[in-house]
Amino acid sequence: MYFIHTIASISHQDSFQVPNVFERLEKLGDDSDIISPNYKEYVPPTALRRLGPVLRMGLTASIECRNNVDADFDAISVGTALGCLKDTEKFLVTIHTTTSDFLSPTAFIQSTHNTIGGQISLGLKNHAYNMTHTQNNLSFEVALIDAIMCVNEGKQNVLVGAADEKIDFLAQAQPDLIPDTHPLTSGASFFVISPTKGSTGIGVRDVHTNFNATNIAKDIQDFLSKNKLTTDDIDVILSSNEQPFSDKQETLNYLDYSGMHYSAPAFALHLAHDYLLSKGKKFALIVNDMCPGRLGLTLVEKQ
Amino acid sequence: MKIHVTGYGLISSIGTNAEESIESLRNLQTGIERGKSEATKAYNLGAIHLSNDELKKRFDLKTDGSRTALLGMVAAKQAFEGHELSENIRTGLISGTSVGGMDISEVEYKKYLDQDGHNPENYKHHSSGTSSDQIANELGISHFVNTISTACSSAANALMMGARMINNGMLDRVVVGGTDSLTLFTISGFKSLMIFDEDWCRPFDDSRKGLNLGEGAGYIVIESEKSLEISKKQPLALLSGYSNASDAFHQTASSPDGHGAKLSMTEALRVANIKPDEIDYINAHGTATPNNDLSESQAIQSIFKDRIPPFSSTKSYTGHTLAASGGIEAVFAILALQNGYLYPNLNFKTPISETGLVPQTTFEEGKEIRHVLSNSFGFGGNNSTIILSAT
Repeated sequence: MYFIHTIASISHQDSFQVPNVFERLEKLGDDSDIISPNYKEYVPPTALRRLGPVLRMGLTASIECRNNVDADFDAISVGTALGCLKDTEKFLVTIHTTTSDFLSPTAFIQSTHNTIGGQISLGLKNHAYNMTHTQNNLSFEVALIDAIMCVNEGKQNVLVGAADEKIDFLAQAQPDLIPDTHPLTSGASFFVISPTKGSTGIGVRDVHTNFNATNIAKDIQDFLSKNKLTTDDIDVILSSNEQPFSDKQETLNYLDYSGMHYSAPAFALHLAHDYLLSKGKKFALIVNDMCPGRLGLTLVEKQ
Repeated sequence: MKIHVTGYGLISSIGTNAEESIESLRNLQTGIERGKSEATKAYNLGAIHLSNDELKKRFDLKTDGSRTALLGMVAAKQAFEGHELSENIRTGLISGTSVGGMDISEVEYKKYLDQDGHNPENYKHHSSGTSSDQIANELGISHFVNTISTACSSAANALMMGARMINNGMLDRVVVGGTDSLTLFTISGFKSLMIFDEDWCRPFDDSRKGLNLGEGAGYIVIESEKSLEISKKQPLALLSGYSNASDAFHQTASSPDGHGAKLSMTEALRVANIKPDEIDYINAHGTATPNNDLSESQAIQSIFKDRIPPFSSTKSYTGHTLAASGGIEAVFAILALQNGYLYPNLNFKTPISETGLVPQTTFEEGKEIRHVLSNSFGFGGNNSTIILSAT
């Protein structure tokens, strides 16, 4: 078990510094907007001005996680599917429209995916292992696999999370770059995982990814049986699809609450944690099939 | 657990395979030259003179993708040649890239700005993860795919993650490395940082002014003991050490004393369970920027004291291939272990005044080389070291 010690989510829900995200959970409407914390409490205003949404969210959620645990992170694993889109677009506009020989480097510097992890290490003055994973809708799951390995290797306080941002242009690239089943949104969810039991006793038991999934039901069955479970043992399925996998348990579509961005499966882990916490249930299964054929499965357990 | 290397492949401006690359290294023949197009004529670049269509045809590529993905397919296929897919060997691909499909996206986005035949379908190649999916599909790899994106240390980190997945019992065999194509985006980006040398880059020289960009891909195949029993492959080398640490100093610059670099080299030596004086050659990050080479030199001096092994930067041949560099340089390291090669650092004349370090300047072969240390440092203070050792 990889126990969750703290969670910080910035999303379209009231999810930051709340005891349980289900208290005020609502399905996203058309006019829904991201609920931002007071970033100035986390990042100096001069630095904040330069940071795009994904950097603000990732850095703030990480600092909040750090504030909630007693020790420095001994590893940091970040997932992001499309990275710093705002800075990427800004630099693309610059190079296609500027004739001057002198270009501002800020947007370029901040366009690489690992700016999020880099800003976290800088902000926390943290010299530990620092990794950035990017694998479309599976970016959070692969970051989580890395974090799990860090715990297996003896690390005690591993920061793991995912962040993605929406830019208006992204609507132009739907559905070729990102599916169009839900409104495009931004979000970041970060967790501290540890081998020792936290106050809730809830943690990640196992993660599985398959980028060539042809039979989701069979993948789920194999994944559960590897963990000596059947679908009957699962109390809730958090899926990215309307299709229920079985009628034996509650199913909810996490995209109804997060909106569409490739880091939404990290928010689903927040939902799963808080569901098990408030209902006193034992097992939640996250089924991430946001992109056809690219499947992520995360088993969450309360001990 | 020992991590065995059983294959390698690379493509860069100095060759489309290992044989061609060694010929260039031996003959002091750089791949860096003046850009040939209107957009690139102001820069010295390590470009590969094969169009995307030529790459597909010459290397018989079946999968479509960005130039980054195509270069990755060429090198990864070479590395995986002679390996067979088997249900009994869980095989993955972990690939590093920093630009992904930007070579296509930047052209498409220009059409959008100019309102000139913009076709959004082309963004399907944009995401870095998709470029890895495409490489995996070309190889038929299906158990696991991941992409590491930590700028210039991406490939080294992909090697590290592959080794750790084997050690954690999650995979038996992994194709690991990195790929990046030249793009207007990165050329303009490094120009904006004002760290280009308009001439040929001069790693570790006192007069160095900056880097030259390059493109390419480099991959190696690593296997567990169990995988070797089934695959019957002959180990060529061992991936014996690896580490990643944060400099936590500045988003793009390295700390003056190379704190992150010291941490990553120290930990990689610990993982490999060898002492600094057992390292026979260092393939340095050596981008030839004033900041990197001084910082890296000081970190090397701090670790190796007065017994500094032969070291050089092969970026004076290939240019800085960003996320691919750690993969390409890992292949150079394996060839050094197999043949006793030491690679020259081109364009060196005067030692850096602060350190006085003199890199290897001639090509040598037949040396006894047991352990090679290879550094890759990226934006965000992301510092990685890998150690490859003789079997």
